[in-house]
Amino acid sequence: MANQRTLAGAHDLELVSLGRTGDRGAFGELVRRHGSAVRALLRRMGADGATADDCAQDAFLAGFEQIAEFRGEGAFRTWISRIAARLYARRWRREARAELLAGGADEQGAPAGVGADARIDLDDALKALSDPERICVTLCYGAGLSHAEAALALNAPLGTVKSHVKRGLDKLRSRLSPDGDGGQRRQVGG
Amino acid sequence: MADASFEFKLERMFADAPHAADTELFALQVLERLDRGWTARRFLIGAMGVLGGLIGAYELLSSGASGQLVAYVDHANDFLARHVAATVSDALAPSGIYVDAQAIWLAGALAIIAAGFGLARLVREI
Repeated sequence: MANQRTLAGAHDLELVSLGRTGDRGAFGELVRRHGSAVRALLRRMGADGATADDCAQDAFLAGFEQIAEFRGEGAFRTWISRIAARLYARRWRREARAELLAGGADEQGAPAGVGADARIDLDDALKALSDPERICVTLCYGAGLSHAEAALALNAPLGTVKSHVKRGLDKLRSRLSPDGDGGQRRQVGG
Repeated sequence: MADASFEFKLERMFADAPHAADTELFALQVLERLDRGWTARRFLIGAMGVLGGLIGAYELLSSGASGQLVAYVDHANDFLARHVAATVSDALAPSGIYVDAQAIWLAGALAIIAAGFGLARLVREI
């Protein structure tokens, strides 16, 4: 049986092959490698730390069950991230937040958190988005889902998802552009 | 900034996830949950097997066919045991060792147990 050192040097595909035979050590190595990315994705979708951990664990357990379906066409990280994102989207939907999606435009974001002098990175910029914008943008650009797949995961109309993504992208572009803070410009202009 | 360029940059930023300090703990938690799930599944399968066996035994006993079955099994058992014991005794006759039916069954049971242990070990090694 492969030991820990061997597993640490193995390619993801080798680990997946071992995982298919029920090798928990190999699957544990996959969790070690990609756990951080999956948890970060879930936090970027809006999950708090505990929920992100819980949901990421569920995703890895589901991944272990479905590992035979992973054919290796894409990266394992992308595959497991999609599972996690869909699980969180389902949970988010269950928690009565679906009305936010159905309600169309929603401006409950937190633009006040990002100052002109603060270091603006993705995590900060995402805070400026409303919940629906944030989850839609993260599903599409973080988990790599298409708009249609995101709509399916959120059980929301495709048009609604597209408009949330567009508004979210506009806000992110404004926040992340090298020439300044959109929030500041809006304040000055308004 | 062009849309496609910004979207590509955004995807790269999402892919650039921070590395958590507690990855080992997280992996352990996942594996623990995996083990718990398998243990629960094994118990469930075992319990279903026992339940099914009990129901089957009850149905067999209550059907009235059990008496016939027992008689048939006894007869087959005696016949088989006598035949095997006679064959083995004949084979061992020059050495002066006498083998009765019970010894044959005992040896067979021990062989099956040994084979089971061997198989379990083999599966573990693989």
